[in-house]
Amino acid sequence: MVIDLLKERLKKSRGYSELRYHKRNTFTVSVKDGKIDVLNSGIVEGACARALIEGSWGFSSTTVLERDKIDGILNDAASLAEASKPKKKRAVKLASAKPYVDKYETPMKIDPRKSGKEELVRLVIDIDKDVRGFSKNIASDTVTFNIVDDELAFLSSEGAEILQRIVRCYGNVMVIAREKGNIASAYESIGEESGLEVLKKTPLGDIGKNAAERASKLVSAKVAPGGLYHVILENRIVGLLAHEAIGHCAEADLVYSGSFLSDKIGKEVASEEVTLVDDGRFPGGFGTMKYDDEGVPTQRTVIIDKGICRSFMHSRETAQHFGVSPTGNARAWNFEYDPIIRMRNTFIEASDYSLEELAEDIKEGFFLKGGLSGQADFNGEFMFGTQEAVKIENGEFTESLRGVTISGNAFEVLKNVDAIGEDFAMRTGMCGKEQVNFAGIGGPHLITKVLMGGMK
Amino acid sequence: MSVTDLTRLAIKYCEKMGVDEAEAFAQSQRIIEVVLERAEIQSERVKTQRGIGIRIIKDKKLGFAYASTFSNATIEEACRNAKSLSNVSVPNPDWVSLPTPAKLPKPPSGIYDEETASMGGDEVLNLAVRAYDEAKGYDKRVDIDDGKFSLISTDVAISNSHGVEAEENNTLLEGFLICMAKEHGEALSMAFEYDVTRSLRDFSPERIGRIAAEKALSSLKPKAVESFVGKVILDSDPASTILILPIISSVNADNVQRGRSLWAGKLREEVASQKLTVTDDGLFPKGIGSSSFDFEGVPCQKTPVMMRGKLKSLLHNTFTANKEGKKSTGNAYRDGYNMLPSISVSNLIVEAGEKKLEEMISDVDKGIIVRRFSGNVRPESGEFSGIAKQANYIEKGEVKYSLKETMISGNAFQAIKNIIEIGSETRPTFLRAYIPPIMIDKINIISK
Repeated sequence: MVIDLLKERLKKSRGYSELRYHKRNTFTVSVKDGKIDVLNSGIVEGACARALIEGSWGFSSTTVLERDKIDGILNDAASLAEASKPKKKRAVKLASAKPYVDKYETPMKIDPRKSGKEELVRLVIDIDKDVRGFSKNIASDTVTFNIVDDELAFLSSEGAEILQRIVRCYGNVMVIAREKGNIASAYESIGEESGLEVLKKTPLGDIGKNAAERASKLVSAKVAPGGLYHVILENRIVGLLAHEAIGHCAEADLVYSGSFLSDKIGKEVASEEVTLVDDGRFPGGFGTMKYDDEGVPTQRTVIIDKGICRSFMHSRETAQHFGVSPTGNARAWNFEYDPIIRMRNTFIEASDYSLEELAEDIKEGFFLKGGLSGQADFNGEFMFGTQEAVKIENGEFTESLRGVTISGNAFEVLKNVDAIGEDFAMRTGMCGKEQVNFAGIGGPHLITKVLMGGMK
Repeated sequence: MSVTDLTRLAIKYCEKMGVDEAEAFAQSQRIIEVVLERAEIQSERVKTQRGIGIRIIKDKKLGFAYASTFSNATIEEACRNAKSLSNVSVPNPDWVSLPTPAKLPKPPSGIYDEETASMGGDEVLNLAVRAYDEAKGYDKRVDIDDGKFSLISTDVAISNSHGVEAEENNTLLEGFLICMAKEHGEALSMAFEYDVTRSLRDFSPERIGRIAAEKALSSLKPKAVESFVGKVILDSDPASTILILPIISSVNADNVQRGRSLWAGKLREEVASQKLTVTDDGLFPKGIGSSSFDFEGVPCQKTPVMMRGKLKSLLHNTFTANKEGKKSTGNAYRDGYNMLPSISVSNLIVEAGEKKLEEMISDVDKGIIVRRFSGNVRPESGEFSGIAKQANYIEKGEVKYSLKETMISGNAFQAIKNIIEIGSETRPTFLRAYIPPIMIDKINIISK
C-alpha cells in the first residue's frame, strides 16, 4: 500500500530521485540482577527522499506517510539540492547501476514475528540467574536480547524497486565482579542476520558464562603493562583490527580525503599472509543485506589480497569519481539519514595455524581477548580496547591480566602479521560514522606487534 | 494537537485498559543537519522526529512500548503493546510508584531561543560555511576532513496517571569540524573542535574553524618521547571522558545499589583531591542539560555531588530514590522516546580553579598536554588507556613538539586523588558536563 503510494508520487519528481521506506520493529528484553529492567517493543516508520539535481544532493524525511507529505519530501529534497548547489564546488555524478526489481528476506528457521515473546523473557531471566550464580564475587549483571526487524523499500526514478526484510537477532551480557574493594567488568555478545535460531547456534548462556568467568577472574588481577609487545589477537577481536586499522581508511570517501591508503592500490600494505575482505553477503553476517541503500547489489569486495591493496569500498558517487563499479557499500541507519559509505562484514581470512602453534613463537607477549570500542584516524593510526591480556612466556599461556587499549599504525601492524590461525569467528559490531550502523567483524587468531597502553 | 494532548490521551487509553500506573513521554523535534565531508558540503537534512513512549505498571510488572507516529490509532496500539508486554513480564518487588505531582520550578533561563528555533536550512548551512571558511583561510596547510552542524528544536511532554504533567521547549545548536594539516602533500595530523549552545547568539562557528585549524597545525612534525610516569594536563574534552565518566557512573544511585560503584557506602568520605568540587545543576542558566523537570516529570534541582573531595550525594531517579525511601534528585534521563528512563547527569559542573591554561602549562617541568583522547575508559573500575591525540610535550613550562604514537594510561579514581590543578576556563562537553582543563599526576605515558 505504502509502496504503491511512493511509486505513484515518485513519477512526479524532479531530477534523479530516490524514495526509501523503512519500518523498524524492535523488541528488547533486558534483565538486571534478577529483575526485568527493559521490556520494550516499538515501531519506527517513515520515508525519505533524496534528489540529485545538477550535481547537488538534497535530502528530506518524514514519519507521516500521506500523499501530501510524500510530495513534500520529494519537493524539499529537490529544493534543498537546488538551494545548496551554489555553495558546492564538486558536481556529483553517479556511476551507472542497473535498476533492479527484486525482493529479499533474511533466511530464517524461526521467524520472530511468528513466535511468542514469553519464552524469550524466560530465557533471559534464566541466563541472568546462571550468570549471578557463577561465582560469589559476581556483584551485578545485565543480560539483554534484541530483535530488530527491518522492512525496507528502495525506489528510484531510474526504475529500481527493491523490497527487503532484514532481521537481526542479537544479545549481550555484562558482568561486574567485586572483591576486596576491587571491581572488574566483562562483556560478551552474540548476534546474526537470522531468525531466533541464532540462540541455538550460539547460546546466550554460553557467552554469559564466559563473561562471568572473565569478570570473576580479573577482579583480583593487575593491569597489563605498557609498551610494544608481540601479541596474539583473539579471533573475536581480529575483526576490530580489520575494521579499525584498514576498513575505515578503505572507505572511498575517506580515501578521497587523503587516507593513508589513497595511493596504495596495487601496492603492498600488509604482510602476504593478510587477505582482508568486506563482504555484504556473508551468511548470517551482522551487516549482511542483498542490496545497499542505493539499490546496488552487495558483493564480496577484496580490499587486501595477500598483502596487496586491491579495492576500496564505494557508493555510486565515489565509484564514478574513481572510475570503478559501485561495490554496494552505501548504507543508511534509517530513513532519517542519506546513505554513506559503510562497511558490511569486514574480516581477515583464516589460514592454518592452531592457537598453540601461534603461541610457540612468542618468547614474551600477550594473548589479547575480548573487544571494547575502537577508533581510527585517516592516517592509519588506530586503537581498540581489550578486556583480558593473558601473558605468554616462552610459548606458554601463564597469568591473566586486565586488558588495555592497544594502538598502532595500520601499515606497521599489518606488516607485522607473521602468522594467521585457523579458527575463524564472526561477530557483531556497531559502527559509528556520523550515523550508527550494524557491522559484522571477523577473523582468525593472528600474531602481530602493537603498542599496549598499560601500567608501569 | 499539542504533545501534552497526546500524552494525556495515552494515559486515558492505559487507564481504560486497567493498569495500575501509566506514564507517557512524547517528544517532537525539528532537526536540521548539515554534513561536511571530503572538504565539501555533503548533505543537508531536514527532519521531523516525533515519538511517544508508554510505560505501564500492572501488579508491579513493567511494560514499555513506543511509536513514531502521532495518530490516535498508533498511540492506542502502543498502549496495548505495553500492556501485553507487562503480561509476559515478572513482578519487580522493589517497585514502589511512578512520581507524584510536585510544583515545578520556572524553566531555566536561556534554554529556549525563538530566533534559534526559527532557523531554516540556509542559516544552518551558513554556520557550516562560516566555520569552513575560517579554517581554510587560517593557513594554507589546513584542510577540512568532515564536520556537522545541527539545530535541534525540541518539544517534550510527560504525563502520568498520578497527575504529573509537564511540557517544555528547548533549542540546541551543535557543531564540530575535523581539520587536518598537510605538509609536503602528506596528511599528517587531524584535529577536532566543537561548540554546543542553546542559542545562535552564543554560537561562534568562526571560533570552531580557527581553533580546529590551530590544533591541526600544532600537531604537525610529531616526535616520540621516551616512556615516563608524570604530569598530564587534560583539556576539557579528554578530562571529561577520562575523569568525569567514572564519576558519573559511580554517583549513579542505580549503580551504587547494584554494587557496580566503588563508592558504594562512601557517602561523606573523601574520594578525591580537595581541589575537586562537583555539582549537578539541572537549572543552570543556558545549560545544555537544563530543564525545569527531568524525564519522569520530577522537578530538576541543584545537587552537590562532591564538595572539596568529599562525596556529598548520589544522583537518583524515582525508582532508586523510592528504594531507599529518599526523594528523587531529578536525574531521570532518556536517550529518546523509545527508551525507558535511566539515571544521568543534568549539567555536571566541575568548579573552576584560578589558573588559565597557559599558567598551568608554565607550572609543568616535564609533562604532556592532551587535547583529544582516543581510547577506552572502564567507568566502574576507573581504568583508562588510549592514544593521546593532539598532544604536546611540555618541558620547563613550555609547550614543545607534538607527540607521535603516544598512549596514556592510569586509573581515574587514583587520578582524581592526584589532581594538581584545575583550570579556570570551563566549557561544555558532550557528556553534558562543564569542565575546565585538569592537571593530574602519576600517569603512564607510553611510547614504542
